[in-house]
Amino acid sequence: MTGIEGSPSPKRVTKLRHALSPAAVLGQASHLLGIGGFYLAIIAYFAFAAPFFFTSTNAVNILSNVSVIGVVAIGQALVLIAGGFDLSVSGLVPLGGVTYTVAINDDLGIPEATAVAILGGVLVGILNGFIITKVGINPLVTTLGMLSITGGLAFTISDGVTIPLENVNAAPLGEEFAGMPLYVWTLITLSVIAFLVLRYTVYGRMLYALGGNREASRLAGMRVDLLTISVYAASGACAAFAGVMIVHQLLAGAPAVGGDAALESITAVILGGASLTGGAGGIPGTMIGVLIIGTIANGLALMQVPTFYQDIATGVLLLLAVTFGQLRVLFGRRTTRVLAGMTAGAGQARARWRRRSGTNS
Amino acid sequence: MTILHPVTGSESQTLLDAIGLTKRYGGQVALNAIDFSIAPGELVAVIGENGAGKSTFAKILSGAVRPDAGGLRVHGKPIELNAPRDALRHGISYIPQELAYLPNLTVAENLVVGRWPNRGGLTTRGRIHAEARRIAARFGIELDIGAQIAQLRLAERQLVEIVKALARDVSVIVLDEPTASLTSDESDNLFHVLRGLAQEGVGVIFISHRLDEVFDLADRIVVLRNGDVVANLEAAKATSQEVIAHMLGAAAEEYYERRDRQTRDGTVALALRNWTRIGLPNIVNFTLTLHRGEVLGLFGPRGCGADLIADGLAGRISDFVGEIELAGQARPIFRSTREARAAGLGYVPPERKREGLVMALPVQTNLTLHVLSSVSRFGWINRVRERRIAEEWRDRLQIRLRSVRQPVESLSGGNQQKVLLGSRLLSKPRVLVLNEPTRGVDVGARAEIHRYLRNEADAGAAILWVTSDAEEAVLVSDRLLVMRDGAIVGELSGPAMTQTNALMLATKEAA
Repeated sequence: MTGIEGSPSPKRVTKLRHALSPAAVLGQASHLLGIGGFYLAIIAYFAFAAPFFFTSTNAVNILSNVSVIGVVAIGQALVLIAGGFDLSVSGLVPLGGVTYTVAINDDLGIPEATAVAILGGVLVGILNGFIITKVGINPLVTTLGMLSITGGLAFTISDGVTIPLENVNAAPLGEEFAGMPLYVWTLITLSVIAFLVLRYTVYGRMLYALGGNREASRLAGMRVDLLTISVYAASGACAAFAGVMIVHQLLAGAPAVGGDAALESITAVILGGASLTGGAGGIPGTMIGVLIIGTIANGLALMQVPTFYQDIATGVLLLLAVTFGQLRVLFGRRTTRVLAGMTAGAGQARARWRRRSGTNS
Repeated sequence: MTILHPVTGSESQTLLDAIGLTKRYGGQVALNAIDFSIAPGELVAVIGENGAGKSTFAKILSGAVRPDAGGLRVHGKPIELNAPRDALRHGISYIPQELAYLPNLTVAENLVVGRWPNRGGLTTRGRIHAEARRIAARFGIELDIGAQIAQLRLAERQLVEIVKALARDVSVIVLDEPTASLTSDESDNLFHVLRGLAQEGVGVIFISHRLDEVFDLADRIVVLRNGDVVANLEAAKATSQEVIAHMLGAAAEEYYERRDRQTRDGTVALALRNWTRIGLPNIVNFTLTLHRGEVLGLFGPRGCGADLIADGLAGRISDFVGEIELAGQARPIFRSTREARAAGLGYVPPERKREGLVMALPVQTNLTLHVLSSVSRFGWINRVRERRIAEEWRDRLQIRLRSVRQPVESLSGGNQQKVLLGSRLLSKPRVLVLNEPTRGVDVGARAEIHRYLRNEADAGAAILWVTSDAEEAVLVSDRLLVMRDGAIVGELSGPAMTQTNALMLATKEAA
């Protein structure tokens, strides 16, 4: 571990003391711990309040229910880290599902039908990115417009009705492996890949840099426009594939399912430590965020609370997450952005504790 | 204790007095108990080098910044300014360098904003125009009342801002470097307006760092240096040498002992030929030559165009016309920052927070940001290697930190700047272009940065150093080019390279 070099000047001593104060140390390491603790508290509450909540069957239930939104959230995390956000996922999820169903019903194979659905998502994402970077329209308006277009397309393609999947064998992700449906394993696989990419690759590094400081990234020779387009393409692919996963669950392509994808995925990513200004966030936090949303929905359902209360709960969560982010900025020495450091270097928290105990002893 | 020079003009009846104003930012003293006063109808120029405390002084008068100690009096009565609106209430109006106007509204609407003429809450276009015309006419300023602000030239916007200030029964008007982006005709027009105001009895405080215009306009010149008022001179009796001497203090005539600079091998590392760009200022046929092993200083006041040359070299401005020669090869001017980097040009931008560093990311990530390919294979980053490189550069540049994994934003300004410098040096550029590399950096770190770059040059690096700080320019350069209004007005080297000479060249029309 690096020690402290040289003899500290008085000014440096105060600086060090400040940096090593519990608030600072906790603040930096705390987000994952905090959000994890929050999640445990939710579980503890429902374990007592909701019947049948604390069972392994229900745990698999929760995982099954969040797998779709989890995949959307992975793409959303890339976009938010790179400093944008993507509302069009709410249209892309149903569009992806409907496209897949129609393709299967037209006798395309599973790989081909999946590819067609994902390709549609990628194209929409590229278009999003292109409009944002080259035309210069902000992400809110661009992806809001695209939401309307893709949502409308889903209804157009399906003639406004839910299309049953004619070939029931075209939904293999619904099968179980090791006690969990394959689409849960799909989410786990994708999130591990995204985690590794964000943490260990040049591409992931560039996304944090881009979201943290676009101009500095440009000066560093990055193709900032191309990078921006790439995250929207990735988000489009994730959303469309999430739509395909819904078909594997429902055995039908439903144009009206998936409209809450944008709200829930953004909430999850922000809960996971991302900031709306970009440059922060990560996959582990996002996955906990997804679980929080899914668990609250599940617990409330078990307590037989009407479903529309779940919408209220999700909205409250989003506002709370953003508010806590602001509070961290105001009181916690800008710790939201430090999360970038955590996700970019996960050993940091450990190192910091070690360093801290070293300094104190 | 600051020695207050006798206030010239009407001492009995001052308009505004500042007594013992003090402001510290962290450990840095921006203003050190300064006294100041202005009489009705007086034009006072406040002059000093960058960092002398001019802008802090202006901001205190505007109410935007609260002093740590000391107070203000208007017409002898003590006042307290907690916000800009308090200053306005006491008749002090502040025109910042960055104008705050509503671009989509008309001149008339901007003039009356916040004080709309109304009857029972209703305001009409006709009423607004009548009021605006009345205000403009009162001070004999001609403005196209109906034009949109966005369509006006900068100088006209500035006039709108001044008229807006005057509309509020102003007794003191404070202008922070108002001519920084004006042409000389526009400046003359502005001075004409300001003289007219003074005749009406308004006190004009004019912040500047351009000597010629100060002598043009002011009745009295107040010189600030490192937060102290070091001179309070009657403009008619003062000379520019005298003012420069006060601006620089003891450093004025100091001659920096330079080692024998024989390391320079005469090979041309970079040459710019006939660079031309229409803009503010116009740059016509700009030419310079940079040798290997040389630090070439490019000095001039802000707005002289030196920073544009640096930006052009970095590929950030693509509308330069001209030729470039790099390492013996003629090539077109860079069209993008990628192109400039690929050609081996390292660029240190002036604003590290906005353009240079990703503040929230760790030091090690920032250091390797420009050389990601050298710490990665097939797109996967080798974190061990990255860390080793970061620690090597931490030692080389003496960056003081706890760990190379801490975020850059937790470092002091000087150490942040070293990270910025390191991130550029890591890619081993053929030519290093520095644009104000020590702005906002403490003295110690500044000296270390100077020393490090000096050694780099002695080892054969070619460095173009753009600065608006005369002291730094003289200190670091082997050869110093002085710029003014888009053109090189002189080259200094050897014993002639003194701050006095540099400032004289930079501030006088013909030196």
